[in-house]
Amino acid sequence: MGIMRSGASATLAACAAALAIGGANPAPAADNIIKIGALLPMSGPGSYFGAQDKQGIELALDDINRTGVNGYKLEVQYEDSACSPLPATQAAKRLIEQYKPDVVIGEECSDATLAIMPVMAQSKVPLLNAGSSSIKITDPGNPWTFRIMPNEVMQGVDIATNAYKRLDARSAVLLYENTNAGIGNAKVFNETFTSLGGKILADIGFGRDVNDFTAIATRIAGLGKVDVIPTYTLEGQGLKITQALAQAGVTKGGGGQAIQLGTIWLPFGFEQKAGKAALGYIRIVQFDPTDERGNVRNFITAFKMKFNQGPTHLNAHAYDQIGLIADVVHRGAKDAQSIRDGLAATKSFSGVTGSVEFDGKNQNVKMDTIHYMETLDDLSWKALPWN
Amino acid sequence: MLTVVLQQAMNGLVVGSLYVLVALGLTLIYGILVQINFAHADVVTLGAFAAYFLMHRFGGGYIAAIVLAFVVGGALGWLTNAAIFSPLRERGNELLPLIATIGLSVTLENAMLAAFGPIPYAFDTPYSNDVLRLGGIFITVQNLLIVAVSAGAIGLLYAFLKFTFMGKALRAVSQDRETAGLVGINPNQLIMVTFVIASALAGMGGAMLGPVLVLTPFAGTSVILKAFAIVIIGGFGNVEGTIIAGLIIGLIESYTTQFLNPGWIDIVVFAILLAMLALRPTGLVAERREENV
Repeated sequence: MGIMRSGASATLAACAAALAIGGANPAPAADNIIKIGALLPMSGPGSYFGAQDKQGIELALDDINRTGVNGYKLEVQYEDSACSPLPATQAAKRLIEQYKPDVVIGEECSDATLAIMPVMAQSKVPLLNAGSSSIKITDPGNPWTFRIMPNEVMQGVDIATNAYKRLDARSAVLLYENTNAGIGNAKVFNETFTSLGGKILADIGFGRDVNDFTAIATRIAGLGKVDVIPTYTLEGQGLKITQALAQAGVTKGGGGQAIQLGTIWLPFGFEQKAGKAALGYIRIVQFDPTDERGNVRNFITAFKMKFNQGPTHLNAHAYDQIGLIADVVHRGAKDAQSIRDGLAATKSFSGVTGSVEFDGKNQNVKMDTIHYMETLDDLSWKALPWN
Repeated sequence: MLTVVLQQAMNGLVVGSLYVLVALGLTLIYGILVQINFAHADVVTLGAFAAYFLMHRFGGGYIAAIVLAFVVGGALGWLTNAAIFSPLRERGNELLPLIATIGLSVTLENAMLAAFGPIPYAFDTPYSNDVLRLGGIFITVQNLLIVAVSAGAIGLLYAFLKFTFMGKALRAVSQDRETAGLVGINPNQLIMVTFVIASALAGMGGAMLGPVLVLTPFAGTSVILKAFAIVIIGGFGNVEGTIIAGLIIGLIESYTTQFLNPGWIDIVVFAILLAMLALRPTGLVAERREENV
């Protein structure tokens, strides 16, 4: 029985309380601790991930620890993994040696996640990932790494197919940062789109130190008619790309015809920062704030009460990571091995981002975590019923 | 194709102007002190945040924001030199001020992270989205302003160094500090002036860069490596060389993006840097170290 399913309209706290009373396992005194390590980027250009993840984690802990789960309370130790392989590896080793966690959540950036996976596997500590999209994370089949978000192939195939079939797009320009995730996302889009009959007019990768995107926008403007521009970057560069494309008259936001496409890289609030340049942008988000499910409404209400603002998808998927661990603990897990086994056995956990069920490679197979949003004139979102 | 070539020349000019603004401060300090200032990037970032908050929290205009960033940068230059670098130099160990710049950089970066948070700021000005189009060429008014302000600042700095007594004294100190002292020039006073001017330029560069780059506490670090490369290519401490190198690097970036791929930018720029070090280590303009500044 999953925590969220047993009390769909209640918050995590209410669910945990209900399950503590009526669950299958006896409820010992809540003085045992499940130690959760959090490897998140707290510095550098990806540090907005860590800041927002932390909010979701803190809210989930408030809810769950009010009553505990099966006599356990959850505790989180944060380490800055900086969205980069070397600091992530060092932070992972520090966490394992000093804190000795039962389970670790993180990282957000694929390169960093790939770097910490061997550390976790060697230590036999399960890693629960929510934000990295590289196929390499789950495709080889790592018994200690789990991912609750759709990987780059799932997202890339889906968005490329929708671009071709629903938007009638026949030409595309790929824009991506030169990282595992950026290159991987672009490659999947390229393969799917061209296999359907679409044409890639330009394949443009760039480093994270590129600041001015006017030159890139100029190059795209010179390519003639472009239907869609799939873009894979962090928020900062994403903002500048969107504004540069509009200034060059390429995208709808600048009077052009091209539609920018994105996946879950960008946080909520991106459109408000980008302004009119974001008009017509279609992107996958991991969390739909218009979702009417009870647990989503309760999450939004609780988040607004605690932080005086609406939650983003980063807040939401971090909340779900903690919720899923609580669910596994409720099912009887109490240490690294049993948490790993419990995660692997998860069936239809219902989180605020969608549901979770892992395949043999520990990849969540549920596609209801993909939500398409289109940016309207007033910079609000229109949910597209594509999934 | 001609339109694209001209457009990329325009883009390169804008980026190059920004690089020059940042690199000039580095080259001034190096010219006088033969010291690399790793905290320069953070002065750029602080200038950008000062300009951002004046505009977006206190309703100030962009020109006022540029002036404020200039003043904030200059004040920070004065403060850090008076409180940190000058006392360390008096100890006679050249390594201490260099290490102090690294420490100052880390301190400023993390202080800004604590104060402003990690989430990128959208630093738009009233000119960010105004696009001028002439034929097939476009430029935002913001970028036009960047070129104009950069050109003005460079011109004023050049005139200051060439035609004022203090500018001539600065050049004298850069050529031979001991002899300059013998003829009545106070090197410590001139070092302070150099720090203030360099930091003020960095602060102003931040106000110009803020709307262009991704404004976070780490914004300055994304351009500083390129600025170091420009200082080296231009000739350590050489103002004319820095200006020329900055504009060339801007153009190289634009044309690399157009004809190769932006992923090649760093390869091309730093290959040029290596070639310069191997073939012409004095830089584009300087023939002798003594002629710098």
